[in-house]
Amino acid sequence: MGSAHSVPAEMRALADRTGFTSEQIEHLHRRFRQLSRDQLTIRKENFDSIPDLEFNPIRAKIVHAFFDKRNLRQESSGLADEINFEDFLTIMSYFRPIEMNMDEEQLDRFRKEKLKFLFHMYDSDHDGKITLQEYRNVVEELLSGNPHLEKESARSIADGAMMEAASICVGQMGPDQVYEGITFEDFLKMWQGIDIETKMHVRFLNMETIAHCY
Amino acid sequence: MGRGVGGGDPPSRCGPGLLLRLVPVLAVLAAAGAAEQSAAAGSPAPDGTVMGAGTPPSPGSTASEETRLHVFTLDYPHVQIPFEITLWILLASLAKIGFHLYHKLPSIVPESCLLILVGLLLGGIIFGAEEKSPPVMSSDVFFLYLLPPIVLDAGYFMPTRLFFENFGTIFWYAVVGTLWNAIGIGISLYGICQISAFGLTDITLLQNLLFGSLISAVDPVAVLAVFENIHVNEQLYILVFGESLLNDAITVVLYNLFKSFCQMSTIKVIDVFAGIANFFIVGIGGVLIGILLGFVAAFTTRFTHKIRVIEPLFVFLYSYLSYITAEMFHLSGIMAITSCAMTMNKYVEENVSQKSYTTIKYFMKMLSSVSETLIFIFMGVSTVGKNHEWNWAFVSFTLLFCLIWRALGVFVLTQIINVFRTIPLTFKDQFIIAYGGLRGAICFSLVFLLPSTVFPRKKLFITAVIVVIFFTVFIQGITIRPLVEFLDVKRSNKKQPAVSEEIYNRFFDHVKTGIEDVCGHWGHNFWRDKFKKFDNKYLRRLLIRENQPKSSIVSLYKKLEIKHAIEMAESGMISKVPSSVSLSEYHEGKIKPLSPAEMENMREILTKNLYQIRHRTMSYNRHSLAADANEKQAKEILIRRRHSLRESLRKTNSLSRERPAAAANTKRFLSLPKNTKLPEKLRVRNKTSSRVGDSSDSEMDATTTVLNLRPRAGKILREQRLRQQRPPSELRMEWKNEVDGSQNGRGEQQEPGSLPQPSIGFRQPLLTRPRFGTLSREDLTADHGSARPIPPPRLVRQASQGERQRNKPENQPY
Repeated sequence: MGSAHSVPAEMRALADRTGFTSEQIEHLHRRFRQLSRDQLTIRKENFDSIPDLEFNPIRAKIVHAFFDKRNLRQESSGLADEINFEDFLTIMSYFRPIEMNMDEEQLDRFRKEKLKFLFHMYDSDHDGKITLQEYRNVVEELLSGNPHLEKESARSIADGAMMEAASICVGQMGPDQVYEGITFEDFLKMWQGIDIETKMHVRFLNMETIAHCY
Repeated sequence: MGRGVGGGDPPSRCGPGLLLRLVPVLAVLAAAGAAEQSAAAGSPAPDGTVMGAGTPPSPGSTASEETRLHVFTLDYPHVQIPFEITLWILLASLAKIGFHLYHKLPSIVPESCLLILVGLLLGGIIFGAEEKSPPVMSSDVFFLYLLPPIVLDAGYFMPTRLFFENFGTIFWYAVVGTLWNAIGIGISLYGICQISAFGLTDITLLQNLLFGSLISAVDPVAVLAVFENIHVNEQLYILVFGESLLNDAITVVLYNLFKSFCQMSTIKVIDVFAGIANFFIVGIGGVLIGILLGFVAAFTTRFTHKIRVIEPLFVFLYSYLSYITAEMFHLSGIMAITSCAMTMNKYVEENVSQKSYTTIKYFMKMLSSVSETLIFIFMGVSTVGKNHEWNWAFVSFTLLFCLIWRALGVFVLTQIINVFRTIPLTFKDQFIIAYGGLRGAICFSLVFLLPSTVFPRKKLFITAVIVVIFFTVFIQGITIRPLVEFLDVKRSNKKQPAVSEEIYNRFFDHVKTGIEDVCGHWGHNFWRDKFKKFDNKYLRRLLIRENQPKSSIVSLYKKLEIKHAIEMAESGMISKVPSSVSLSEYHEGKIKPLSPAEMENMREILTKNLYQIRHRTMSYNRHSLAADANEKQAKEILIRRRHSLRESLRKTNSLSRERPAAAANTKRFLSLPKNTKLPEKLRVRNKTSSRVGDSSDSEMDATTTVLNLRPRAGKILREQRLRQQRPPSELRMEWKNEVDGSQNGRGEQQEPGSLPQPSIGFRQPLLTRPRFGTLSREDLTADHGSARPIPPPRLVRQASQGERQRNKPENQPY
């Protein structure tokens, strides 16, 4: 999009779609260009240039999320090779804080969207279920920053968490029933107690696009 | 006093009188004790005359006193001070028990109100008996002994994360809000004083400002006492409570500033600037002292593993040291002790043993609740007396201005801070923040500290302060709960911490930090991330003994483990006398007590399922818990074994049919295993509940004595069993009985053909763990493993059916 994007009409369209203010969009756009080195799209490699991200234990998952077509509000699933600025904004818009004037329904949708985003990060094989294996991967990644921890413990933690999930979501299960994995509905249930809408947000305003990206 | 012992006759002389006074009920006792102060103060003089003049004993004494040796002597003055202190504390604690006898009372009236009422009553008795003002709580006692434990407790259990997330807002309210209130109240009261009809014209502007500054301090003790019972959401809680802690610095500064201004004849501009600079020094200095001593404390505990017994002491000593050091330099003691506690707690927790940790926690809670109780009682007692001057205008306008300025301040300040907050505060929040601005013992002590030479109307000030405190504590304290309900303010839904929640939160933090990195913005998350890295890299290395950074997930997991183990132990093992300890707790505070049968079932289900979790993760306990195998442990194992033997026998013949039906009954209560006990718990504990972060372990610590035993015991048992499995034929039969016979034995293993699953209770799915979708292959191996006589070495990982079955029976309650 590059320079074309500064046209007000387009800006407004973007603002409408993503809910960002034009000021925020401008900030983000500057950052986008920085990351993409003035290209129209960002590829995975571009994320390598963010030094701080390198130490993030779930870095791969985060980068992955940017290219996940499910997050990009596209019908198809799978991975995109590159994303343009609008996609970038779409991903960022998952992290908008709630607004005061939202009604119940909007809030609920908002909440679900955020959770969906998280869910997709867990569900790496796109089958709509977080299986135990996927869960273990996540926990292992989370704990990967800690060299002293054996894989075993990560796995048993994941198992414990999975059991909790099963007990919360299914309640009583028939003896021959198998808990396949956490579906999105279960995921919602588990997050019931946590006000994700007040937690999952990043401040976009007053953002300094400091050039710590080399 | 000392003379009494040597002289021989004086003790017995004052004996009868004392004895008389000491006989009656406790209340009178305490009153007498207080009265004794005066008696004791007066007694030396007559003693002196008696001794010096060598006159015969006074008429009160009997002739038998001439003997040298006393069979029985009473020397009250000798023990007077500790005796009275003990009595006061005892009285306070008994009063506390009294309120909780009627379980609905604490939910209607905050404890603080009741305690003040008790204090008033006592004060009245003393006043009536002695015809003079009862002793006033001395400000030194308050500031040096009573206040620190409360603040320490608050700081130590402060939800750090929440606090720092809202730090800007808290700071804003605490500093600007308090200034606003102090100056607003001071100036508007001065305006009132100018009206000559009220007879207040002799109060100067500075005196008014001083009064304003001491009355504007929101009191952490009062706020805690009220807010921990109403369970508003954590954010609101931390805003009000954080403000009350932080505003100490500004209050101290303002108070000292105006006090010295009042004593100065001229005030130069430089003094004002000195005052401002003073504020920064007081606040920052306090925090620095706190942080420094916090680190020292953490560092000290690194080396205490050889002398575990005194471990807890360090926490208290260092934090108290930080407080009095800060006070020594006239810095903010509250800030110092708060920051000290916040700094040390993370590191100390990892260095000290579980037992010490529990001790620290309990001791801290105990100290703080005792001093809180004492403070309120003393406030009541000190109110009664002749140190009052009533002036309708001054008192009612003070009250009015306190309310108005607080409300205005919160409103205006929120409008400004909302611009900077990502999640703005709603009007409801603002209302609760304004309404939660309770005044308390800090103002009370400060006003008594005023030198009466400089403040001729000190009594008027005292009266006004007391009215404001009583109004806020009584009226606002009682009505805030209905208001919170009425306004439908978001309540806290504090659940027991779950592993998955912790995982999510961690995941979440990383995602947020990652996104911030991507958009190149240094926000909260960025700094938190940076601090964590720094912490892991340097601080933890330095301060923690086993310097391997531990993930919060792992530590939480461990905690839950231990907790489950203990719960299991509590409900399953110890209860050979069924439903004894643990059950009585369940009953308490419940509206409709469960029938014993239901109880029994619930307990059993809980036990079984908790045991599963515990059992699966033996690998942790092995590392985390001190391996002190001793006699007790062995005994425990024996008991358990016998238990399981008996159990397995009983199981197979009698109880098989009852269970499923009963399980259906209990389902209702147990639909969420982890939360099952929650409602009761919430009601039962009011001390700990709203101190976020503490909720989980208060229960678990109840039985720390067994802490080291269970998991170990379980492990050893298991190993033992494995060993025994082969040779001894008798035992073998037993195991067989359980493993194979389980198919028809218990309801849970009835399903033929399917893997034996318990069908009682909702924890079921957990038991079926190996059947999670992807796991099937592993299950196979696991099953093979269990079929083999000696389970494979990867014992825990393959927490397989067979093994679980083998373990199950011994887990049965009774």
